[in-house]
Order: sequence, then C-alpha cells, then structure tokens
Amino acid sequence: MSSKAHNNLLHTKRIVQQLRIEASIERIKVSKASADLMNYCSEHARNDPLLMGIAASDNPFKEKKPCTIL
Amino acid sequence: MCDQTFMAATFGPCESCGKPSPLMNIYIKNEAINYCSFCVELMACQGLQSGESVASLKRECESLKKKLEEERGKLNDVELHQVADKIEVLGALAIKTRRVLKGHGNKVLCMDWCKDKRRLVSSSQDGKVIVWDGFTLSKENGISVPCTWVMACAYAPTGCAVACGGLDNKCSKAVAMHTNYVSGCTFTNSDNQILTSSGDGSCALWDVESGQLLQSFHGHTADVLSLDLAPSETGNTFVSGGCDKKANVWDMRSGQNIQSFESHVSDINCVKYYPSGDAFASASDDATCRFYDLRADREVAVYQKDSVIFGASTVDFSLSGRLLFAGYNDYTINVWDVLKGTRSSILFGHENRVSRVRVSPDGTALCSASWDHTLRIWA
Repeated sequence: MSSKAHNNLLHTKRIVQQLRIEASIERIKVSKASADLMNYCSEHARNDPLLMGIAASDNPFKEKKPCTIL
Repeated sequence: MCDQTFMAATFGPCESCGKPSPLMNIYIKNEAINYCSFCVELMACQGLQSGESVASLKRECESLKKKLEEERGKLNDVELHQVADKIEVLGALAIKTRRVLKGHGNKVLCMDWCKDKRRLVSSSQDGKVIVWDGFTLSKENGISVPCTWVMACAYAPTGCAVACGGLDNKCSKAVAMHTNYVSGCTFTNSDNQILTSSGDGSCALWDVESGQLLQSFHGHTADVLSLDLAPSETGNTFVSGGCDKKANVWDMRSGQNIQSFESHVSDINCVKYYPSGDAFASASDDATCRFYDLRADREVAVYQKDSVIFGASTVDFSLSGRLLFAGYNDYTINVWDVLKGTRSSILFGHENRVSRVRVSPDGTALCSASWDHTLRIWA
C-alpha cells in the first residue's frame, strides 16, 4: 500500500469516527423543540424593544430632533 | 494518481525487520522511511482494527450516514411554522434609520457593539478600525491596521479592548496566526481569550497575553467564514459556518465537532445563536437563511422568498428571538418572523451590500454595516 492509500485510510477512519459520534447523540422531537422555542419567544417578547416598540422618550436612539444627515 | 507499484530504488537492511531486501522509499508525514515491502503492508494494516479495510470503512460510512438521516427523520413529526400557527401574527414594525455613521473611506466589513450598549467598533477595507459613540455619532478612537480588508472586529467584554483581523492572516498584533485570512473573531467570556475562524479551514482558541494556541478545531473542508459563541448560560460550545456549506457545532474544551448540519446549497456567510442557545440561524449565498434546532438535531425553518434572489451575508436575532434580521447583497435588510417563517418587513436605506447586522446588547437598536462606507443604526 502506498502512503497515499495510508492517508486515505486514516481520512476515512476519521470520517467514520465522526459519524459514529454524531449518530449516537440524543435527539428530541421537533414538536417539543418548537414548543420550547415558542415559549422562549413569548416569555421574552415584552422585553424586546425592537419587537414591541418603545416610547421615543425611553429610547436613546429615537430623538425628537431630526437625524443629522450630512 | 492511483496506487503505484514502486520500483525498488535501494537495497539494504529494512529499517523495521532488519532483513536485507529491496527497500521501498516512502514518506510518511515528511519523514523518509525505508522498509521492505512486507513491513510496509504490516504498517499500513496497523491503522486497522482486525477485519477492517478501506472498503469496509467506506461501507460503514455510508450506512452511518443513512442511519443519521433516518434517526433525524423519525423525530420530524411537525414543522415549526405549523406549531407557530396558533400565535398571533406580528404587527407592523416601526423601525427606521435613526443614525448614519460616516467616516470610513471604503467598504465597512464588520462591526460589533460594546456591552455598554452605546459604543461600537467597525472595521473597513481601508484598513481603519473606528470606535464610535452610537448616541452622539462622535468617533472616540481610530486605528490604522497595517492591512486592507479588515474583515473581522470584536469588542472585549469589559469594553477595554478591541480585536481585529483580516487579510494579513493575523488577529490583532499577531495574537492569532492562521495560514490564511481571518474571517471572524470574538472574545470568549473574558478579555483573555479570542476565538478565530479562518480561510485556512480551521477555527482556533488563543490566549491573548501570550499569543499561545489553546485549542484548534478541524473539520471544515473549506474556508470558515463565520463563528458564534453560545450564550453564556449554555456552556462551552460555538458554531461555525463556511464555504463547504456546512455549519458545525464544537466543544471548546475538547476540540471535538459535536454536530454538523448540511442543508444549504452554497457558502454559509454567517451563523448566529438563538438567544436561548438551543438553536442557531445561518445566512448563505443561496439567498436563504435557515434555522437549526440543536436538540432536535435538524433544520426546522427556511427563510426564503422567490423575490429574494441575492445572497444573504449576515444575520442576527432580536432580544426575544422572535425576529431575525438578515442583510443581503441587494442592499436590503429583511426582517423575518422566526417562528412563522414569513417576512415581517424590509429595511431600505443602504446603497450597497449589507455586510453585517448586529442587535445592540439591550435590544433597543440594530446596527448595519455596508459596502456603501456607512453604518446605520435602526430603532
């Protein structure tokens, strides 16, 4: 076997080891994962200024005077 | 090149068994080895467990890939947007340009917010890195970096330092040395460690003080274009995306690639974790953004429209994770409803490609950097 075949072998071995690790992880159902994502969103929605919009007086970026655009 | 039959060029005692015979002169890892042909076979077989061969490993490879697909498929009992049908549709968003930051002389390639929620740092193709005060538009600091195309910049957690890197293959005065350009960098939870991604296909963790390489992450088969650290509560992992169309999740301590996702059909330009740390989004040259859940180990949403045909270069989530801001090469920023999969609004204003979007640490504003030499703050 040439050294190229040897490298090929090591490369394939590495891929197989990686796949074995990936195949063995614990997974949950998409329905459960989606429910959790939705819960997170609704719990934090009221603290999300970009989502809810906050009063101009509270937002330092929203000022009464117009933006200085040169 | 195929397997070659070597012509024996030398004759002498084999370096392994000692018997005089025609020797094969081969190189393993740049070292010259002169073994007789029998010992070469033996050595090659040492890499194998009993009964393995390249062919059997390849077969195992194929069957593992099939098994992975099956396992993932079994858990795909419903789509995210179906579950999200029961929540209300988003109202119209009142987001407009509030500030335009001018001062760079060339394309702005990257920006990052400071934890104080008002300062930000930006880097540009003109080799300059500027620190701005977002409220007053004043430039607090400007540094010239001795290379053009400063593709990555990051603010340290304490706000006392900034890291940047690019075509000079280094990150900040040679803290990090890669063999190709540095595409992304971020501080870990302290000012003392930097995580970088590079065109050389690897990611690496460095100690800032000593410049020492603490851990390297190999697995991508092409340039790595982006990385993001998991939000602090969820531990020591990060996600990276690159030109091999894959997004990989890594364990920072062991260097191990824990999960891998390949569903984009073109380069992944940017990856960003969902605020809870259980999912992440990616932006790609294939004009889509995708959402992957880590615990379900699969893609759960694709954000695309027939009218969106230009590549997406950057993504970021709003504070609650309900909105996904994505910057595109058609100069716009699309705002997607993460759960329902629909587009909520479009932000117009930039006059060239949007290279980076980032939501401020307290979620009050979005900053976008563009090839039109400016940055815009939206709120």
